[in-house]
Amino acid sequence: MVRLITHNLLACHVRGCNSNNFPLQFQDVQIGLREAEFNPDFLRGFLPKIEWNALVGAARQLGDTSLPEEQPSMLDDDFLKTLHHVLLEIHVEEGAMVCPNCKHVYPISNGIPNMLLAEHEIG
Amino acid sequence: MPTDVRAVSVSGNPEEYEDEHVHAIYDEIAGHFSSTRYKPWPIIAQFLSSLPAGWVGLDSGTGNGKYLPLPLDRPGQLWTIGLDRSINLLRIAQTVGQHYREVVLGNVLDFPWRYGAFDYAISIATIHHLSTHERRKAAVKSLLHSISPNHGRALIYVWAVEQDNLSKRVIPVAQQAGEIQTVKQKDKPGVDVFVPWVLKEPSSKPDTPAQATQASAKVFNRFYHMFAAGELEQLVTEAAEDMKLQVVSKQLRTTVAAGVSGVTAVQTGWERSNYYIELERWRT
Ligand SMILES: [Zn+2]
Repeated sequence: MVRLITHNLLACHVRGCNSNNFPLQFQDVQIGLREAEFNPDFLRGFLPKIEWNALVGAARQLGDTSLPEEQPSMLDDDFLKTLHHVLLEIHVEEGAMVCPNCKHVYPISNGIPNMLLAEHEIG
Repeated sequence: MPTDVRAVSVSGNPEEYEDEHVHAIYDEIAGHFSSTRYKPWPIIAQFLSSLPAGWVGLDSGTGNGKYLPLPLDRPGQLWTIGLDRSINLLRIAQTVGQHYREVVLGNVLDFPWRYGAFDYAISIATIHHLSTHERRKAAVKSLLHSISPNHGRALIYVWAVEQDNLSKRVIPVAQQAGEIQTVKQKDKPGVDVFVPWVLKEPSSKPDTPAQATQASAKVFNRFYHMFAAGELEQLVTEAAEDMKLQVVSKQLRTTVAAGVSGVTAVQTGWERSNYYIELERWRT
Protein backbone atom coordinates (compact mmCIF):
# COMPACT_ATOMS: atom_id res chain seq x y z
CA MET A 1 0.00 0.00 0.00
CA VAL A 2 1.06 3.57 -0.33
CA ARG A 3 -0.35 5.38 2.61
CA LEU A 4 0.81 8.84 3.58
CA ILE A 5 2.97 7.43 6.37
CA THR A 6 5.15 5.83 3.67
CA HIS A 7 4.90 8.77 1.29
CA ASN A 8 6.31 10.98 4.06
CA LEU A 9 9.50 8.87 4.10
CA LEU A 10 10.10 8.24 0.39
CA ALA A 11 12.37 10.45 -1.70
CA CYS A 12 13.64 10.38 -5.28
CA HIS A 13 16.96 8.54 -5.62
CA VAL A 14 17.85 9.07 -9.25
CA ARG A 15 21.57 9.70 -9.67
CA GLY A 16 22.38 13.36 -9.08
CA CYS A 17 18.88 14.20 -7.86
CA ASN A 18 19.81 15.37 -4.37
CA SER A 19 17.80 18.51 -3.73
CA ASN A 20 14.09 19.26 -3.97
CA ASN A 21 13.63 15.47 -4.39
CA PHE A 22 11.00 15.31 -1.64
CA PRO A 23 8.04 15.08 -1.34
CA LEU A 24 7.06 13.10 -4.42
CA GLN A 25 3.92 14.39 -6.14
CA PHE A 26 0.95 12.10 -6.66
CA GLN A 27 -0.32 11.71 -10.21
CA ASP A 28 -3.46 10.04 -11.64
CA VAL A 29 -4.19 8.22 -8.41
CA GLN A 30 -6.99 5.89 -7.44
CA ILE A 31 -7.53 5.76 -3.71
CA GLY A 32 -9.36 3.47 -1.32
CA LEU A 33 -10.35 4.19 2.27
CA ARG A 34 -9.91 1.41 4.79
CA GLU A 35 -10.39 1.59 8.51
CA ALA A 36 -7.33 0.97 10.65
CA GLU A 37 -7.04 0.57 14.39
CA PHE A 38 -6.56 3.90 16.18
CA ASN A 39 -3.36 3.95 18.21
CA PRO A 40 -2.77 7.31 19.95
CA ASP A 41 0.57 6.20 21.47
CA PHE A 42 1.97 5.51 18.04
CA LEU A 43 0.74 8.84 16.68
CA ARG A 44 2.15 10.88 19.57
CA GLY A 45 5.53 9.20 19.18
CA PHE A 46 5.61 9.56 15.39
CA LEU A 47 4.31 13.13 15.18
CA PRO A 48 7.62 14.94 15.93
CA LYS A 49 9.29 13.08 13.04
CA ILE A 50 6.69 13.87 10.38
CA GLU A 51 7.59 16.33 7.62
CA TRP A 52 4.42 18.28 8.29
CA ASN A 53 4.20 20.43 5.16
CA ALA A 54 4.76 17.37 2.97
CA LEU A 55 1.96 15.52 4.75
CA VAL A 56 -0.50 18.40 4.48
CA GLY A 57 0.34 18.87 0.79
CA ALA A 58 0.07 15.16 -0.02
CA ALA A 59 -3.28 14.88 1.77
CA ARG A 60 -4.61 17.80 -0.28
CA GLN A 61 -3.45 16.14 -3.48
CA LEU A 62 -5.59 13.18 -2.43
CA GLY A 63 -8.58 15.44 -1.73
CA ASP A 64 -8.31 15.51 2.06
CA THR A 65 -8.11 18.99 3.59
CA SER A 66 -8.72 18.04 7.22
CA LEU A 67 -5.19 18.77 8.51
CA PRO A 68 -4.27 22.27 9.75
CA GLU A 69 -1.43 24.15 7.99
CA GLU A 70 0.52 24.29 11.22
CA GLN A 71 1.08 21.34 13.48
CA PRO A 72 -1.00 22.07 16.60
CA SER A 73 0.68 22.16 19.98
CA MET A 74 -2.35 20.61 21.72
CA LEU A 75 -2.71 16.95 20.80
CA ASP A 76 -6.34 16.30 21.65
CA ASP A 77 -8.21 13.18 20.54
CA ASP A 78 -9.97 14.97 17.68
CA PHE A 79 -6.69 16.00 16.15
CA LEU A 80 -5.10 12.58 16.66
CA LYS A 81 -8.09 10.91 14.98
CA THR A 82 -7.78 13.25 12.02
CA LEU A 83 -4.06 12.51 11.81
CA HIS A 84 -4.73 8.79 12.10
CA HIS A 85 -7.14 8.90 9.19
CA VAL A 86 -4.77 10.85 6.94
CA LEU A 87 -1.68 8.78 7.73
CA LEU A 88 -3.13 5.30 7.88
CA GLU A 89 -6.57 5.03 6.29
CA ILE A 90 -6.11 6.54 2.84
CA HIS A 91 -4.60 3.95 0.49
CA VAL A 92 -3.24 4.92 -2.89
CA GLU A 93 -3.92 1.83 -5.01
CA GLU A 94 -2.96 2.94 -8.52
CA GLY A 95 -1.22 5.88 -10.10
CA ALA A 96 2.26 7.28 -9.71
CA MET A 97 4.55 9.49 -7.69
CA VAL A 98 6.61 12.05 -9.59
CA CYS A 99 9.85 13.66 -8.41
CA PRO A 100 9.38 17.45 -8.11
CA ASN A 101 13.00 17.95 -9.24
CA CYS A 102 13.91 15.48 -12.02
CA LYS A 103 10.33 14.42 -12.87
CA HIS A 104 11.14 10.72 -12.58
CA VAL A 105 7.89 8.73 -12.39
CA TYR A 106 7.55 5.99 -9.78
CA PRO A 107 4.51 3.89 -10.65
CA ILE A 108 2.10 2.50 -8.06
CA SER A 109 0.34 -0.73 -8.96
CA ASN A 110 -1.97 -2.76 -6.71
CA GLY A 111 -0.89 -0.55 -3.83
CA ILE A 112 2.83 -1.25 -4.27
CA PRO A 113 5.12 1.61 -5.30
CA ASN A 114 7.91 0.65 -7.66
CA MET A 115 11.06 2.44 -6.51
CA LEU A 116 13.41 0.43 -8.74
CA LEU A 117 15.59 2.37 -11.15
CA ALA A 118 17.50 1.26 -14.22
CA GLU A 119 21.19 0.79 -13.48
CA HIS A 120 22.26 4.05 -15.16
CA GLU A 121 19.77 6.04 -13.06
CA ILE A 122 21.02 4.83 -9.69
CA GLY A 123 22.87 7.39 -7.59
CA MET B 1 17.09 -34.75 -5.43
CA PRO B 2 20.23 -32.79 -4.56
CA THR B 3 19.68 -30.85 -1.36
CA ASP B 4 23.27 -30.06 -0.48
CA VAL B 5 25.04 -26.75 -0.79
CA ARG B 6 27.84 -26.31 -3.29
CA ALA B 7 30.53 -23.72 -3.76
CA VAL B 8 30.31 -21.42 -6.76
CA SER B 9 32.34 -18.58 -8.15
CA VAL B 10 30.56 -15.38 -9.03
CA SER B 11 31.19 -14.11 -12.53
CA GLY B 12 29.94 -11.43 -14.89
CA ASN B 13 27.85 -8.40 -14.00
CA PRO B 14 26.87 -8.80 -10.32
CA GLU B 15 23.49 -7.17 -10.84
CA GLU B 16 22.55 -9.56 -13.63
CA TYR B 17 24.00 -12.41 -11.59
CA GLU B 18 21.69 -11.56 -8.66
CA ASP B 19 18.73 -11.08 -11.00
CA GLU B 20 19.19 -14.62 -12.24
CA HIS B 21 20.31 -16.39 -9.07
CA VAL B 22 18.26 -14.53 -6.47
CA HIS B 23 15.44 -12.25 -7.65
CA ALA B 24 13.96 -14.39 -10.43
CA ILE B 25 14.00 -17.41 -8.12
CA TYR B 26 12.19 -15.72 -5.25
CA ASP B 27 9.54 -14.43 -7.63
CA GLU B 28 8.96 -17.99 -8.80
CA ILE B 29 9.07 -19.79 -5.44
CA ALA B 30 7.34 -16.99 -3.44
CA GLY B 31 4.25 -18.94 -2.42
CA HIS B 32 6.06 -22.12 -1.41
CA PHE B 33 8.91 -20.21 0.26
CA SER B 34 6.49 -18.11 2.26
CA SER B 35 4.58 -21.16 3.54
CA THR B 36 7.83 -22.33 5.17
CA ARG B 37 8.83 -18.97 6.65
CA TYR B 38 6.39 -17.86 9.29
CA LYS B 39 8.16 -18.17 12.66
CA PRO B 40 10.01 -15.04 13.78
CA TRP B 41 13.46 -15.66 15.28
CA PRO B 42 13.64 -14.84 19.01
CA ILE B 43 16.39 -12.21 18.94
CA ILE B 44 14.60 -10.27 16.21
CA ALA B 45 11.30 -10.44 18.08
CA GLN B 46 13.08 -9.22 21.23
CA PHE B 47 14.71 -6.37 19.33
CA LEU B 48 11.35 -5.17 17.98
CA SER B 49 9.72 -5.57 21.41
CA SER B 50 12.34 -3.28 22.93
CA LEU B 51 11.45 -0.28 20.72
CA PRO B 52 9.28 2.60 22.01
CA ALA B 53 5.79 3.46 20.71
CA GLY B 54 5.77 5.79 17.73
CA TRP B 55 8.90 4.42 16.09
CA VAL B 56 8.92 3.76 12.36
CA GLY B 57 11.23 1.21 10.80
CA LEU B 58 12.47 -0.27 7.58
CA ASP B 59 12.58 -4.02 6.94
CA SER B 60 15.10 -4.12 4.12
CA GLY B 61 14.57 -7.43 2.32
CA THR B 62 11.24 -8.11 4.00
CA GLY B 63 10.41 -11.21 1.94
CA ASN B 64 6.97 -12.43 2.97
CA GLY B 65 6.84 -9.73 5.64
CA LYS B 66 6.86 -12.01 8.66
CA TYR B 67 8.41 -9.30 10.85
CA LEU B 68 5.99 -6.54 9.82
CA PRO B 69 3.29 -7.41 12.42
CA LEU B 70 5.72 -7.44 15.36
CA PRO B 71 5.68 -6.85 18.28
CA LEU B 72 2.58 -9.02 18.60
CA ASP B 73 1.91 -7.96 22.20
CA ARG B 74 1.76 -4.25 21.23
CA PRO B 75 0.19 -4.21 17.75
CA GLY B 76 0.22 -0.85 16.01
CA GLN B 77 2.73 0.79 18.34
CA LEU B 78 5.46 0.52 15.71
CA TRP B 79 5.20 0.75 11.94
CA THR B 80 7.64 -1.36 9.98
CA ILE B 81 7.73 -0.71 6.25
CA GLY B 82 8.86 -3.65 4.12
CA LEU B 83 11.13 -3.31 1.10
CA ASP B 84 11.93 -6.19 -1.20
CA ARG B 85 13.10 -6.91 -4.74
CA SER B 86 10.51 -9.68 -5.28
CA ILE B 87 7.05 -8.41 -6.25
CA ASN B 88 5.50 -11.81 -5.59
CA LEU B 89 6.84 -11.95 -2.04
CA LEU B 90 5.58 -8.37 -1.50
CA ARG B 91 2.07 -9.36 -2.56
CA ILE B 92 2.15 -11.86 0.31
CA ALA B 93 3.73 -9.35 2.71
CA GLN B 94 1.06 -6.78 1.85
CA THR B 95 -1.59 -8.45 4.02
CA VAL B 96 0.51 -10.50 6.43
CA GLY B 97 -1.20 -11.04 9.78
CA GLN B 98 -4.63 -10.10 8.35
CA HIS B 99 -3.80 -6.40 8.28
CA TYR B 100 -2.69 -4.12 5.50
CA ARG B 101 1.05 -3.51 5.59
CA GLU B 102 3.19 -0.91 3.89
CA VAL B 103 5.50 -2.48 1.30
CA VAL B 104 7.78 -1.02 -1.35
CA LEU B 105 9.36 -2.63 -4.40
CA GLY B 106 13.04 -1.75 -4.33
CA ASN B 107 16.61 -2.90 -4.13
CA VAL B 108 18.38 -3.01 -0.76
CA LEU B 109 21.39 -1.32 -2.40
CA ASP B 110 19.37 1.75 -3.33
CA PHE B 111 18.20 4.54 -1.11
CA PRO B 112 14.68 5.77 -1.96
CA TRP B 113 14.18 7.49 1.41
CA ARG B 114 14.81 10.70 3.25
CA TYR B 115 18.14 10.35 5.09
CA GLY B 116 17.71 9.25 8.69
CA ALA B 117 13.92 9.07 8.30
CA PHE B 118 13.59 5.79 10.18
CA ASP B 119 14.07 5.11 13.86
CA TYR B 120 15.14 1.53 13.24
CA ALA B 121 15.94 -0.86 10.46
CA ILE B 122 16.26 -4.61 10.17
CA SER B 123 17.90 -6.64 7.44
CA ILE B 124 17.23 -10.31 7.96
CA ALA B 125 18.66 -13.01 5.71
CA THR B 126 19.11 -10.54 2.87
CA ILE B 127 22.64 -9.12 2.56
CA HIS B 128 24.03 -12.64 2.04
CA HIS B 129 22.23 -12.70 -1.34
CA LEU B 130 24.49 -9.94 -2.68
CA SER B 131 27.31 -11.31 -4.78
CA THR B 132 30.27 -9.03 -4.03
CA HIS B 133 31.85 -7.59 -0.90
CA GLU B 134 31.38 -4.04 -2.25
CA ARG B 135 27.66 -4.60 -2.80
CA ARG B 136 27.21 -6.08 0.67
CA LYS B 137 28.97 -3.03 2.09
CA ALA B 138 26.73 -0.72 0.04
CA ALA B 139 23.67 -2.46 1.51
CA VAL B 140 24.96 -1.88 5.06
CA LYS B 141 25.57 1.77 4.19
CA SER B 142 22.00 2.14 2.93
CA LEU B 143 20.80 0.65 6.20
CA LEU B 144 22.93 3.06 8.26
CA HIS B 145 21.73 6.00 6.13
CA SER B 146 18.11 5.01 6.67
CA ILE B 147 18.16 5.35 10.47
CA SER B 148 18.30 8.47 12.61
CA PRO B 149 21.88 9.71 13.18
CA ASN B 150 20.87 10.50 16.77
CA HIS B 151 19.10 7.40 18.00
CA GLY B 152 18.76 4.95 15.07
CA ARG B 153 18.97 1.24 15.78
CA ALA B 154 19.56 -1.60 13.36
CA LEU B 155 19.72 -5.38 13.36
CA ILE B 156 21.38 -7.42 10.62
CA TYR B 157 21.25 -11.21 10.15
CA VAL B 158 23.28 -13.13 7.61
CA TRP B 159 23.94 -16.78 6.93
CA ALA B 160 27.04 -18.21 8.63
CA VAL B 161 29.65 -20.66 7.42
CA GLU B 162 29.21 -22.22 10.86
CA GLN B 163 26.00 -24.22 10.66
CA ASP B 164 24.16 -25.74 13.60
CA ASN B 165 23.73 -29.48 14.07
CA LEU B 166 20.06 -29.36 13.22
CA SER B 167 20.82 -28.24 9.71
CA LYS B 168 20.87 -31.19 7.36
CA ARG B 169 22.84 -29.28 4.79
CA VAL B 170 26.25 -30.34 3.59
CA ILE B 171 28.52 -27.30 3.52
CA PRO B 172 31.54 -27.13 1.27
CA VAL B 173 34.72 -26.74 3.27
CA ALA B 174 36.24 -23.29 3.26
CA GLN B 175 39.53 -24.49 1.77
CA GLN B 176 37.79 -25.90 -1.27
CA ALA B 177 35.81 -22.71 -1.70
CA GLY B 178 38.92 -20.58 -1.13
CA GLU B 179 40.55 -22.07 -4.19
CA ILE B 180 37.56 -21.15 -6.29
CA GLN B 181 37.31 -17.62 -4.96
CA THR B 182 40.51 -16.18 -6.30
CA VAL B 183 38.93 -12.79 -6.97
CA LYS B 184 37.77 -12.33 -3.40
CA GLN B 185 39.81 -10.53 -0.79
CA LYS B 186 42.05 -12.96 1.06
CA ASP B 187 41.09 -11.63 4.46
CA LYS B 188 37.39 -12.33 3.90
CA PRO B 189 37.13 -16.08 3.98
CA GLY B 190 33.39 -16.30 3.51
CA VAL B 191 32.09 -18.87 1.06
CA ASP B 192 30.01 -18.27 -2.07
CA VAL B 193 27.50 -21.06 -2.57
CA PHE B 194 24.36 -22.18 -4.31
CA VAL B 195 21.62 -23.35 -1.99
CA PRO B 196 18.97 -25.41 -3.75
CA TRP B 197 15.27 -24.79 -3.32
CA VAL B 198 13.16 -27.74 -4.39
CA LEU B 199 9.80 -26.57 -5.65
CA LYS B 200 7.19 -29.26 -5.95
CA GLU B 201 4.33 -28.38 -8.24
CA PRO B 202 1.03 -28.89 -6.42
CA SER B 203 -0.49 -32.10 -7.70
CA SER B 204 -4.08 -32.04 -8.91
CA LYS B 205 -4.73 -35.53 -7.56
CA PRO B 206 -3.84 -36.17 -3.93
CA ASP B 207 -3.01 -39.84 -4.67
CA THR B 208 -0.42 -39.11 -7.35
CA PRO B 209 2.35 -41.72 -7.19
CA ALA B 210 5.65 -40.58 -5.76
CA GLN B 211 7.42 -40.83 -9.11
CA ALA B 212 5.01 -38.36 -10.68
CA THR B 213 5.61 -35.88 -7.86
CA GLN B 214 9.35 -36.26 -8.30
CA ALA B 215 9.05 -35.55 -11.98
CA SER B 216 7.24 -32.26 -11.44
CA ALA B 217 9.70 -30.95 -8.86
CA LYS B 218 12.02 -28.18 -9.96
CA VAL B 219 15.31 -27.19 -8.33
CA PHE B 220 16.32 -23.54 -8.06
CA ASN B 221 19.87 -22.69 -7.02
CA ARG B 222 19.87 -19.55 -4.94
CA PHE B 223 23.12 -17.63 -4.50
CA TYR B 224 24.35 -17.05 -0.95
CA HIS B 225 27.51 -15.62 0.49
CA MET B 226 28.06 -17.54 3.75
CA PHE B 227 29.74 -15.21 6.23
CA ALA B 228 32.85 -16.20 8.13
CA ALA B 229 33.31 -15.44 11.83
CA GLY B 230 34.00 -11.72 12.26
CA GLU B 231 33.16 -10.86 8.66
CA LEU B 232 29.86 -9.13 9.46
CA GLU B 233 31.51 -6.90 12.09
CA GLN B 234 34.26 -6.08 9.59
CA LEU B 235 31.71 -5.23 6.90
CA VAL B 236 29.85 -2.87 9.25
CA THR B 237 33.12 -1.21 10.29
CA GLU B 238 34.09 -0.60 6.66
CA ALA B 239 30.63 0.78 5.84
CA ALA B 240 30.68 3.10 8.87
CA GLU B 241 34.19 4.34 8.07
CA ASP B 242 33.14 5.08 4.47
CA MET B 243 30.40 7.25 5.98
CA LYS B 244 32.91 8.97 8.31
CA LEU B 245 31.21 7.49 11.35
CA GLN B 246 33.31 6.56 14.34
CA VAL B 247 33.02 2.93 15.35
CA VAL B 248 33.13 2.86 19.12
CA SER B 249 32.69 -0.10 21.45
CA LYS B 250 29.96 -0.15 24.08
CA GLN B 251 32.55 0.24 26.83
CA LEU B 252 34.13 3.37 25.32
CA ARG B 253 30.90 5.15 24.36
CA THR B 254 30.96 7.43 27.40
CA THR B 255 34.50 8.62 26.67
CA VAL B 256 33.71 10.08 23.22
CA ALA B 257 34.29 13.83 22.82
CA ALA B 258 31.45 16.20 21.90
CA GLY B 259 30.41 16.72 18.29
CA VAL B 260 31.16 13.18 17.08
CA SER B 261 28.87 10.95 14.96
CA GLY B 262 29.27 7.28 15.41
CA VAL B 263 27.96 3.77 15.54
CA THR B 264 28.24 1.10 18.21
CA ALA B 265 27.67 -2.63 18.00
CA VAL B 266 25.51 -3.25 21.05
CA GLN B 267 25.43 -7.00 20.53
CA THR B 268 26.84 -9.52 18.11
CA GLY B 269 26.44 -13.26 17.99
CA TRP B 270 25.52 -16.44 16.24
CA GLU B 271 22.03 -17.91 16.27
CA ARG B 272 20.64 -20.83 14.28
CA SER B 273 23.31 -20.84 11.59
CA ASN B 274 23.31 -17.06 11.29
CA TYR B 275 25.53 -14.24 12.46
CA TYR B 276 23.82 -11.13 13.73
CA ILE B 277 24.83 -7.66 14.79
CA GLU B 278 22.76 -5.02 16.52
CA LEU B 279 23.84 -1.42 15.93
CA GLU B 280 23.09 1.96 17.39
CA ARG B 281 23.83 5.31 15.77
CA TRP B 282 24.58 8.27 18.02
CA ARG B 283 25.82 11.82 18.02
CA THR B 284 27.58 13.41 20.98
ZN1 LIG C 1 14.40 13.11 -8.82
